[in-house]
Amino acid sequence: MAKKTVQKANNKQFAGVLVAVGIIGVAALGYVLTHRGPTVIIVDPKIPAGAAEGHLMGKADAPVQVLEFGDFECPGCGNFANVTEPDVRTRLINTGVVGFRFFDFPLTQHKNSFTAHLAASCAEDQGKFWEMHDRIYAGQDEWSDLLDPSMTSPLPVFRRFAKELGMDVKTWEECVTSQKYTARIKGNQAEGVRRNVSQTPTIIIGNKQVNGLTYDEFKKLVDEVLAESGKAKADSAKKPAAGKKAATE
Amino acid sequence: MTRRMIIAVLSLAGVFLATYLTLYKLGYLETLACGTGSCEVVQASKWSKLFGQPVALWGVCFYLAMFGMSFTGALERFAESRAIGLALVLLSGGGVLFSGWLTYVEVARLHAICRYCVGSAVIVVVMFALSAADFVTLFAAASNDPTRPPA
Repeated sequence: MAKKTVQKANNKQFAGVLVAVGIIGVAALGYVLTHRGPTVIIVDPKIPAGAAEGHLMGKADAPVQVLEFGDFECPGCGNFANVTEPDVRTRLINTGVVGFRFFDFPLTQHKNSFTAHLAASCAEDQGKFWEMHDRIYAGQDEWSDLLDPSMTSPLPVFRRFAKELGMDVKTWEECVTSQKYTARIKGNQAEGVRRNVSQTPTIIIGNKQVNGLTYDEFKKLVDEVLAESGKAKADSAKKPAAGKKAATE
Repeated sequence: MTRRMIIAVLSLAGVFLATYLTLYKLGYLETLACGTGSCEVVQASKWSKLFGQPVALWGVCFYLAMFGMSFTGALERFAESRAIGLALVLLSGGGVLFSGWLTYVEVARLHAICRYCVGSAVIVVVMFALSAADFVTLFAAASNDPTRPPA
């Protein structure tokens, strides 16, 4: 009898705990599923670029300036470069709406990333930064330490990429092995740290700072900047007109 | 609560934890980005997949199996089932070995520790300890049972 009472109490407690864990679990999963998408933080768009020097694509005086802090070995950056960026280039950069700057932000846990950043920076000497940028991201699985931990020196792979792109491989390799652009890469990295960048890709569009995004999300933020600057222009055009009207009355 | 009931509760918690990691791996949860945290490193590594599927998805299957067995074993009718006790020990023992291998990979190969994976490993070890204690108790009780026919 006593045993049955204990069993009943046990069963009730068991059912209660199971239901509680179930509710908490479903609620937690539901929350993270409905709150996905890029987290936007507001930043000051007038922060000067400092000593950092990003790699520019498009016009330096385009109405919307976008900065990307990227890591060549980061799969998220690879996804952004291979999936989102082609549309951004065709529809927004080539049409003169966006000026896009890539800032090196190699993360320390990605062992081959710094060499990749050197490889791309040195390609710029021959006017092929973006070609090398694209090739490195497209071939991430060929040299990434994350996917192939035995890959301790990615240089032979990058040498092959340089050859494929028709570069002067000897000059390029001298640049890479002498680490000519280390200071620039570190400068770009420091600029990211100064802007509280802690993950890649971090994209800054106007006063919005986000981590990785689809083309539609990117376009939406660009449209917001255009709308704000259009509104600001309209406001500043109204003010002198209103002043003139007051003066004539 | 009996040991099997605690195992069932832990398994259910494990189901949610592994489901979260599976959704993350499949890109359903957050925008793909790499942080300074170690979970991204672990999740992006070649060891995050087994037989073409995310390791976390196998984890969901493991926890569901543990939940099904421990829940059944917690029912009054099967409370003294040694077959279920043995199955729980074997399955959770396999889980401990697999979690041990994954932890070794994290520490020795990737040099990165994912806190969710550590959480899962702790759950598996506790489930194994409870399963082993449950089985030993059942076995001892059966050995001392005077009504039990001699072997």
